[in-house]
Amino acid sequence: MRRFFARLANLFHTSRRESDLAREIESHLALLEEDFERRGLPPEAARLAARRAYGGVAQAQEQHRDARSFPWIDQVFKDARYGARSLLRAPVFSLAAVVTLALGIGANTAIFSVVNAVLLRPLPYRHADRLVVALHGGTDPVAPANFIDWRDQGRSFQAMAAAEYWSANLTGTEAPEHLLGLRVTPNLLPMLGVEPLLGRQFAAGEDRKAAEHEVVLSYRLWQRLFNGDANVLGKPVTLNSDAYTVVGVMPAGFRFAPFWATRAELWVPLAFGDRVHDRGGNSLRIFGRLKDGVSLAQARAEMAAITARLERQYPGTNRDVAVMPLKEKVVGSIETPLLTLLCACGFVLLIACANVAHMLLARTSGRQKEIAVRTALGACRSRVIGQLLTESLLLAALGAVAGLLVASWGIQALVALSPAYIPRVESVAVDLRVVLFLLAITAITAVIFGLVPAMHVARGNLSDALKEGGRGGSDGVSRHRLRGFLVASEFALAFVLLIGAGLMIRSFVALQSVDPGFHPHHVLSMVVSVAGSNESEPGRRTVFYRQLLDRVRALPGVQAAGGINHLPLAGDMWGWPFAIEGRPKPRPGESPTAVYRVAMPGYFQTMRLPVLRGRAIADGDDARAPGVVMINERAAGAYWPGQDPLGQRISFDPDTQDARRDPPTWLTVIGVVKNARQGDWASAPAPEVYLAALQNQDFLGGRDSHIAYITLVARTIGDPADLASTVKRTVWSFDRNLPISEVLTMDRVVADATSQPRFEMLLFGLFAVVALLLAALGIYGVMNYSVSRRTREIGIRISLGASRAAVLRMVVRQGMMQALAGTAAGVVGALLLARLMTGMLYGVRPNDPITFGGVLVVLGLVALLAGCVPARKATRIEPTVALRSE
Amino acid sequence: MPSEETGGRIAVLQGTLDLIVLQTLETMGPQHAYAIATRLQQVSGDLLHLNQGTLYPALVRLEQQGWIKGAWGKTETRRDAKFYAITRAGNKALARETLRWRQMSGLVDKLLSEGA
Repeated sequence: MRRFFARLANLFHTSRRESDLAREIESHLALLEEDFERRGLPPEAARLAARRAYGGVAQAQEQHRDARSFPWIDQVFKDARYGARSLLRAPVFSLAAVVTLALGIGANTAIFSVVNAVLLRPLPYRHADRLVVALHGGTDPVAPANFIDWRDQGRSFQAMAAAEYWSANLTGTEAPEHLLGLRVTPNLLPMLGVEPLLGRQFAAGEDRKAAEHEVVLSYRLWQRLFNGDANVLGKPVTLNSDAYTVVGVMPAGFRFAPFWATRAELWVPLAFGDRVHDRGGNSLRIFGRLKDGVSLAQARAEMAAITARLERQYPGTNRDVAVMPLKEKVVGSIETPLLTLLCACGFVLLIACANVAHMLLARTSGRQKEIAVRTALGACRSRVIGQLLTESLLLAALGAVAGLLVASWGIQALVALSPAYIPRVESVAVDLRVVLFLLAITAITAVIFGLVPAMHVARGNLSDALKEGGRGGSDGVSRHRLRGFLVASEFALAFVLLIGAGLMIRSFVALQSVDPGFHPHHVLSMVVSVAGSNESEPGRRTVFYRQLLDRVRALPGVQAAGGINHLPLAGDMWGWPFAIEGRPKPRPGESPTAVYRVAMPGYFQTMRLPVLRGRAIADGDDARAPGVVMINERAAGAYWPGQDPLGQRISFDPDTQDARRDPPTWLTVIGVVKNARQGDWASAPAPEVYLAALQNQDFLGGRDSHIAYITLVARTIGDPADLASTVKRTVWSFDRNLPISEVLTMDRVVADATSQPRFEMLLFGLFAVVALLLAALGIYGVMNYSVSRRTREIGIRISLGASRAAVLRMVVRQGMMQALAGTAAGVVGALLLARLMTGMLYGVRPNDPITFGGVLVVLGLVALLAGCVPARKATRIEPTVALRSE
Repeated sequence: MPSEETGGRIAVLQGTLDLIVLQTLETMGPQHAYAIATRLQQVSGDLLHLNQGTLYPALVRLEQQGWIKGAWGKTETRRDAKFYAITRAGNKALARETLRWRQMSGLVDKLLSEGA
């Protein structure tokens, strides 16, 4: 131990110890010499004898150093110093290599930091890996009575909780606001295991009336409404005209729920009241925490048994219930795209490695002589390789430092560009794992690009190297083959990336050419809510919205205005079952269903959503007029195939066929409208119905009605965003207390709906362009180098009568062969990648021949161009000059 | 290059050489490297032939372990030389190592004679 520290200390006192040693050896030799002289040898002979008796001075020094300190550390320092010097001697090479590596390493680190934050880091709840969700088909909400049965019968769960979407109008403050919140069973927040920052969560006394008017705020809402006031507990807030008491504030990073309603800012207790027997109103998302020692498979098996039993008891209510880990639900859909992007980015790094490897290779051939001399002087192979690897590591380290800059810039760009669909993207940051990743890829990179040339040098024959270097002739065969291999692999990788990018672009073009059904340009939209205001009274509500639309239509620059409950693509989507008059009662769970929309007059005209047959909802379709409904083409085809739906009647009243006592509210189909995109840009529209708002009980039903808001849409002549403030002022001219939210242009809504493919296409495209550039640089560099090495040979050919065209052909062919060989290998990789990408594509098959053909042409052209420049140089070689060169 | 392939042989020599140097310094008092080398040759007759330079690693090791201490001084012929003296820890180590060496060589002797 003591020796270890002494040795360690000696790392830093090299020069003093060296001079001390030299002095000691000198004195030793002198003493020896004296002795020999005393024995009668002449001075000259005595000195020689002394030397002999002492042994090798250099060896002694070397042994002394080894014993004194750690020789290998010394070597590393020496190698690093030597490496730094030799890198500085070739600044252009070094800079090019560092920049190439920085791009590769930086891009990978940036993408990895996203993967890390989104996929690898656990969700920010206690033991988040034990949390699961239970939904119909893995996506659809659940009815209260079913939840209660699951919770009471399930033995696999420590706790099972439910959450329900809740939108709240906040009034009684300076600016009324429409807030997004969740109603949660009181055990939900404790189940997550996140302690509140202030106060408490809901009291465990379940479903109690008393606890109903408590609210827990998010950190952001607390900051916004109360300026972070620590005495907020117990303060009242008015939500949907009811008084609530603040009982707790959650910490800053807390978000719930993570996969839906992600922007929820407040949580209130959920009490079922008389909904405890409701098996039809599917509105709950169910969360559970597995008991210790219970596996997911066990919980699934138990839930399958419970739901099968319930399904027998209440047919059509418990079908297809999927239990899945919460994290899978949150990140499942983004996993493949992100990993594909990471993979693509890794390819870029590999191409960068190949480029740097042949830059190094070209350089080491220039240094062949230096290395041969060092070997001849006794450096063993491992030392030479060590020296070259140290240089590579040094390059990679510089690349990593620069790459960190690229990465931090890239992370910012990624987060700014990334669409809202990437969950948890806000938590992307450089943490320990990212740093470890950076270090790992740097080391791997250095080995990949450094080892190939280094091994090559070390394998080379010493005398050959000395001779070859001296003569300046053409390169050896194996070196040539290695370079060809590098170019080929670059082209293989570039091909794979270009196919990926090509497919993304084709897919994106296909998405762009999707007809949304309506014309999104020049449309402004905003949600205007009346909940909690004087306008919410049923009588006034209709008058208010009618007058509002009239006033908006009268604004200069507005062509048309209308309203709807939920805007397509941006808004919520309700799927409701209905009954068709004159048809037998369907079996449970097999009723016709449709996306449920409630429209104000003028909506279809404003959106330019064409009415194909019949007429649109008009001002006259009010509470006094008979009920009307419009359906989309899809609904007409699905429920009235080969029939005329116009004049048919449907009803949304529950149990229409049984309720003989109350005649159901029948709605007559008055028009068929073109299919419009609904929730998701890429999915085909489902059957959809539009009811008339002015006669709709959900809309007019008073304080407890489902719909206490309308999304106002206005078609403008100029830029719709310019009119936003004017329209808002118009709303507030009725009542300053009306909350307005979600002010959006329809163009923006469409852009958001296509943001995921756009984002993926942009990144893929960027990687492909970089890969193509690097590959082109690679082939150019190799060809250029090879031409310069073959100057004499080409000179001889020309002087022997080879035509310039023949020389051009020869050089270009060489490059093209390498590129083609690589491309052929790339086809296999590209097919594999494309298979992986299937889920990310729209309207294009993974083995799309146009993409493959196009990429082949592009790559071929690039190879040709990159090869042509050095080839032209070759044709300009003057034989006389060439033969005299070197 | 002093490298792994000779490691085994040196290791054996190392231990013994360190022990011998310690013993020499204990009996003769502070000595410079040359005197130690001369003394070793005298005592061993021609049995132990050693390049005098190989003494230095042993001296460094002993010094780093704190068993000997070096200081510059003058020889009788008025030359500069580094004199090494055994320390108290060195004395203890010598006793310990000598005992171990005796046990070891005794054991080896016994085994060898039994085998014969």
